[in-house]
Amino acid sequence: MRLRYSGAVAALAASALVLAACGGDGDDEAAEAPGTVAFYTDKAAWEPQFLEVSDVSESSLGLGLDFTGYSDADQYSAFIRQAFRTDEKPELFTWHTGSELEDLVAEGLVAPTTDIWQAAIDNGDVPEAMREYFTVGEDQYCVPMNAAYWVMYYNKAIFDEHGLAEPTSWAELMTAADTLLAAGVTPFYETNILFSFVWFQTLLAGTDPELYNALSSGEASYTDPGVVEVMNQWRGMLEAGYFGDPGDQTTPQDQLKNGTVAMINFGTFLSGQLNSVDMVSGTDYDFFIIPNVNAELPQTSLIFETGPMCTAEEAENRDTALQYADWWMSEEAQTAWANARGDVSFNPKALVNDEQLAALNEEASAESYLLLERYFEATPVPVLAAALDGFSAFVTNPGDPMPILETIQAEADAYWSSQG
Amino acid sequence: MSGLAVAAPEQTPEHPTAASRRRRRGSYRWSARAFSLPAVLVVAVLLYLPFLWTTWISFTEYNGLGSPSWVGLDNYRDMFADPNFTTSLRNTLIWVVGTITVPVSLGLLIAVLSHGMRFGSWFRLPFLIPYAISGVAVGVVWRFVLQNGGGLSQALDALGLPGADSRWLLDAPMNTLVMIGAAAWQQTGVNALLFVIGLQSIPREPIEAAKLDGASGWRMFRHMHWPMLRPLTTVVVGLSLVASLKTFDIIWVMTKGGPGRNSETLAVTMYEETFVTSAYGAGSAVAVFLTVVTFIAAITYLRRQLSTERTV
Amino acid sequence: MTSMAARVLRPAILLILGLIWLVPVYLLVVNAAKPAARYASDQVWRPVGEFALFDNIQEAWELAGLADAVTSTLIYSVVAPALAVLIGAAIGFGIVALRLRHGFFWFVLVFGGTVFPLQMILMPLFVGYVEAEIYDSRLGMLAIYTAITLPFSALVMRNFLGGIAHQVFEAAVMDGATTWRIFWRIYLPMSTSALVAVFILQATFVWNDLLLGLVLSQSDEVRPLMTALTSLQNTYGGSQLVTVLAGGLLVSLPTVVLFLSTQRIFSRGLNLGQF
Repeated sequence: MRLRYSGAVAALAASALVLAACGGDGDDEAAEAPGTVAFYTDKAAWEPQFLEVSDVSESSLGLGLDFTGYSDADQYSAFIRQAFRTDEKPELFTWHTGSELEDLVAEGLVAPTTDIWQAAIDNGDVPEAMREYFTVGEDQYCVPMNAAYWVMYYNKAIFDEHGLAEPTSWAELMTAADTLLAAGVTPFYETNILFSFVWFQTLLAGTDPELYNALSSGEASYTDPGVVEVMNQWRGMLEAGYFGDPGDQTTPQDQLKNGTVAMINFGTFLSGQLNSVDMVSGTDYDFFIIPNVNAELPQTSLIFETGPMCTAEEAENRDTALQYADWWMSEEAQTAWANARGDVSFNPKALVNDEQLAALNEEASAESYLLLERYFEATPVPVLAAALDGFSAFVTNPGDPMPILETIQAEADAYWSSQG
Repeated sequence: MSGLAVAAPEQTPEHPTAASRRRRRGSYRWSARAFSLPAVLVVAVLLYLPFLWTTWISFTEYNGLGSPSWVGLDNYRDMFADPNFTTSLRNTLIWVVGTITVPVSLGLLIAVLSHGMRFGSWFRLPFLIPYAISGVAVGVVWRFVLQNGGGLSQALDALGLPGADSRWLLDAPMNTLVMIGAAAWQQTGVNALLFVIGLQSIPREPIEAAKLDGASGWRMFRHMHWPMLRPLTTVVVGLSLVASLKTFDIIWVMTKGGPGRNSETLAVTMYEETFVTSAYGAGSAVAVFLTVVTFIAAITYLRRQLSTERTV
Repeated sequence: MTSMAARVLRPAILLILGLIWLVPVYLLVVNAAKPAARYASDQVWRPVGEFALFDNIQEAWELAGLADAVTSTLIYSVVAPALAVLIGAAIGFGIVALRLRHGFFWFVLVFGGTVFPLQMILMPLFVGYVEAEIYDSRLGMLAIYTAITLPFSALVMRNFLGGIAHQVFEAAVMDGATTWRIFWRIYLPMSTSALVAVFILQATFVWNDLLLGLVLSQSDEVRPLMTALTSLQNTYGGSQLVTVLAGGLLVSLPTVVLFLSTQRIFSRGLNLGQF
C-alpha cells in the first residue's frame, strides 16, 4: 500500500514535468523559414535599424535577417565561442577585429571571404586600406558590418555663445577649452566606464602615430618615455578641469544637449544618439576632426573603428550567409544601413543623407589623413582589460601614471610572450 | 481532510518507544527516498553536472575555442599571487558582514513590529516592492541616486547636510558600503516575509500562557518568539550568507568592479576573467575557490543550526 | 501603558521606515512619467507638469517588442516555481517526517545548488542543452528555472516542516493514512503560508531573470521578457532613460500585483497551533 503510493509520487512528479512541458510548444526544431539568415549581435539596441536593412534585402536579395540581440557584450562573446562547439553554429554574427578575430581564425572557425573582398575592392565598394584589418595570414575573413570615425562633437549654441570656431590646430583647441573653462563651461566629456581609453588614444595618436601602432603590436612598451609623456599631458588636462565628472552617468548625448559639456570626443555613431534626443545635425551640433597634438606630423591622425560580420565555417547555411555578407558590402545595403543608423559607411558610394557625415565619408579617404585603428580593437583583449582598469582609475584619481603603465606592461609582457 | 486534521498533538503518546521508532523509520525507508529523489535528481543534473565541467576547466588553459589544455594547478597559483585577489577577498568579506547584519536585522524588526498588527501586511508592502521591481529599473534608479551630483547628493545639498560632494561610487571602500545599502533596500522585505512565516508558525498556546504570566514586549520576544523563530532565522541567515558571498549583479550594474578594480568581489573577478578576457581557466579557478568557501561556510552554519534544532 | 505606547510606536516606526523605502520608488515613477525632452539629471526629485507615463510605457512596449515575450514568461514564472515548491516540500517531508537516512547529507546536496555561481554554469548548460536538443525550447527553460528555484524552496520547506510536531505524523499513521495522503492532506495544507511565500518569491525571481533567458533561448516564442527589455539599454546606445524606466515599471507591475494579492495569506493569522 505505502509502496504503491510512494511510487505514485514519483510518477506524479514526472508527469507534472511532462504536463508543464506540454504547456509550451517545445519547438526546438524552429526550422528557419527559407530565405532567412540567423543573425546574432551584441548590439541589441540596433534591432530596428538591422530590420530596416533586412526589409531592403528581402525585396532585392530574397533573404532577410532572423535577428537575435544580446545587450551584454561579454555574455555575447562567450555565447558565440561556445556555439562553435554545438550544432547551432552561428550563420552570421558580429564580432571584433584584432585579437578576437585572430582567436577564431586560429581554430579555423570562420569562413574566409577573400573572394568577396576582392570583388568588393574591384567594384569600389570598400577602400583597399580597410582590407588589412580583416586579414589574418593570407586570407580575409568576415566583412565590415559598420565603420565609424572618432571625431570631436560640439554643441553649436555653446560655441556661438563664446565666439568659438572649429579649431584647426591643437593650440586652437586648447585655447577654446581655456575660453570655455574661464566661462564656467566644462570643455570635454569624460567617461570612466567602457571608453576610458579615448583620450589616451587621441593624445598618443596625435603625438606619435608610430608609437601608437608599435604599442598595439607589442613592439613598444607602455613605459616608453613617449607614452609617459602623453600620460602626463593627460594628467595636466585632467587636473586643469578640462573634463566632465567621471562619476556622472548621464548619457553623452544628454550631456551635450544640456550643455553640461561643450565637446565630446566620440565615434560617429554618436550622431544617431544625438538625433534621438532631437538635436539637429549642422544646427544644434556639428563635429570636426581632432587636430594633431604634434603639428609637425605630415598627416592628421584619424581614428576609425570597424566591426566585422562573420560566418561560421561549418554553419548549416554557410553559403547563403556568405551571399548575405557579400550583399551587405554593396552600395544598396550600405546606403540603407548608414541612413538607418545615422552614421558613415565604409562604402564611399553609399549615399549618406546627413551632410556633415557625407562630407566626412569623402574627406577621410584623402591623402592628408592617416587612418589608425581604434585602441579598443588594436589592443589584445587581456592587455585592453588591464588598460581600461588602469585608465578608469587614472581619470578618477589623476596621479603618477607609472604604476598604472607598469601594470599594463606586465599584462602585455605576459600576452606577447605567450604568443611566441 | 478534517478527519485527519483533528489529530491534535495532545492526543498522541508523548514518547514512542525507541524500538517502535526504529521500526517505523525502517519501514519508511523507501517512501522517504521516493519523496526525496526528484529534488536530488533535478539539482544533480542541471546544477552539479555543469559545475563539474567548470571544475575541470579550472585545471586547464582555455579561451572558449578549440580544446582546453591541462595546466594542473597553475590557475590557482596565479590566482593567489594576484594582488587584485586580495582586494576582491576583502570586499567580499565586507559584503558578507554587511549583508548579514543590515538586511537581516531590519527584516526581523519589520516582521516583529508588523506581526499580529491590524493591517500589518500592508505596512510590510513598501519593503517588498523593491524585490518585485525588475533589475533593469532598479539599476537605473540607483545609478541616478548615487552618481556624482545625483539624487543623494542633491538631497543632502537641499537639506543642508554635509557629504553632497562625496563621490559615492568612485572611492573605496565607500562604493562598497553604499552598494550594500542598495542591496539591503532590495533584500530586507524578503527577509521580513520569511520571518513573518516563522512567527505565524509559532503555536498560540505557550504565548497565551506567557501572557498570563505577565510577559510582554522585549522579554516576551527574547524568551518566547526568538527561540521558536530559530528554523526561519536559519533560513534567512543561511541564504544571506550564500547570497552575499556570491554578490555580483548590483556591482556589475553600478561600477563594474571599478574604478581600477577597487569595488571588485570574488564573483566579479570570476566574471571578468571568464567573460571579459575569455580566460576561462583562470575564471573557473576563482569560481571553484568561491564555491568551496561558500559551501564550507554554509555547511558549517547549517550543521550547527540544524543539529541543535528540536526534532520532536 | 506600555501597550498604548506600543500601539502608536509600532505603526509609526513601520510607517517612517516604509516611507524611506519608497523614496527610490518615487524617483522611479516620477522620472518614468517625464516626457523625454524634459528629463534632466540634476532635477531628478522634481516632477514636471506634464504627465507622459503612458506614452513612455507605450514606446517601451513597442520598441522592445514585449508582447511576444509575455506568454512564455508567464508560463515559466507560474509552472517552474510551483514545481519547485512541491518538489522542495516533498524532500522536506522525506527528511523531516519520514526521517530519510543521511537526511542532512541529501539536504545539503540539494541546498548546495544555490552555492554555484550561476554565471559559471551558463556555458556548460548551453552546450548541454544544444546536445540534448532542448536549447531554445520552453521545456528547457522550465527545467532550468525549476532547478534554480528548488534549493531555496527545499531550505524553506524543510525548516518550516521541521516546526511541525512529529506527533501529527504519528497520529495520522495511527489513523491508517498513507505517507502520500499525510503529505498531501496534512503537511501541505498546514504550510500554506510558507508554500505561498516561496512561490511568490521564486515566481518574481523567474519573472525578472535575464541571464538564463539570454543564453538558453533565442526565438521570440521562447525568450523571456527581460531579455527583450534590456535591449532598450545597451552599451551601443539605446533608448531614452525615461523609456527604460517606464519599461522597467511596466514589467514590474505583475509582480507587484502578485505581492498585493497574496498579502491576505500572510495576515490571516494562520498558525500551526490551530491544528
